[in-house]
Amino acid sequence: MEAFFAALEATAPAQYLRVSRWGYAAVSGAHILGIALLVGAILPLNLRLLGLWPSIPRANLLRVLVPIAATGLALAVLTGSLLFSVRAQEYAAVGYLQAKLVLVLVGLLSALMIHRAYGLTLEGASQARLRFHALLSLGCWLGALACGRLIAFAID
Amino acid sequence: MKKALLTAILALGVALSSDAVLAHHGWSWTTGQNMVLSGVIKKVRLGNPHGVLEVQVGNEIWTIEVGQPWRNERAGLKDGDLSEGVEIRVIGEPAADKSDRRLKVERLFLGDREYILYPDRD
Repeated sequence: MEAFFAALEATAPAQYLRVSRWGYAAVSGAHILGIALLVGAILPLNLRLLGLWPSIPRANLLRVLVPIAATGLALAVLTGSLLFSVRAQEYAAVGYLQAKLVLVLVGLLSALMIHRAYGLTLEGASQARLRFHALLSLGCWLGALACGRLIAFAID
Repeated sequence: MKKALLTAILALGVALSSDAVLAHHGWSWTTGQNMVLSGVIKKVRLGNPHGVLEVQVGNEIWTIEVGQPWRNERAGLKDGDLSEGVEIRVIGEPAADKSDRRLKVERLFLGDREYILYPDRD
């Protein structure tokens, strides 16, 4: 594993980002854009699953917000991997980062499972199932955001 | 199953800690008071998001946070200036947690030459 992280740090993008001022800033900014899209979509989506805004058809909302959240996640994972590669060996040992990755994985698995079972618009899922997914999803993504931010402020 | 999953997540979030040699954003974690340290650089990790040195100060090892590449360059530091074996004097703010032995540099001296990383700070 150590060798893998060392190899990651030696890749061309990692070496470039380690010294580049605006390149690093751009990737860092794109990471925030990914998180903004993801959390900005997942929050209203889950609140709707929990019963808010009953007059808005659930399927309409899901058709808009699920692709936005998925795009945000893809962008955040791509740019996050690049940021990680800059200091892979050190970041890998950071508890907040490990916790964040677990939360992202659980959030992603929960989304994949419920959409595989009930499709994009979650037709036919029980209230209890929707509720459980919504709470788990909110916990995972907000928790991941908090852990991610703490990496920069609270190491040790 | 659901409960176990949630418990595991919580436990992970709370329990994990580390001793990585990364650096911190901002100044909220420092004392707000400058101090001076002199020593010999033992280990160097420069580059984004922050540069970090390990410096032998007497019989203690301090983690010294310097700038990103652009900040160090702006201060006049050249590649190789901060390297192992170099004697350095740093002025900056230590972590409020004294046991941390960690300091964020505002300016530093190599020999008689001063390099100012944060011109707007005292």
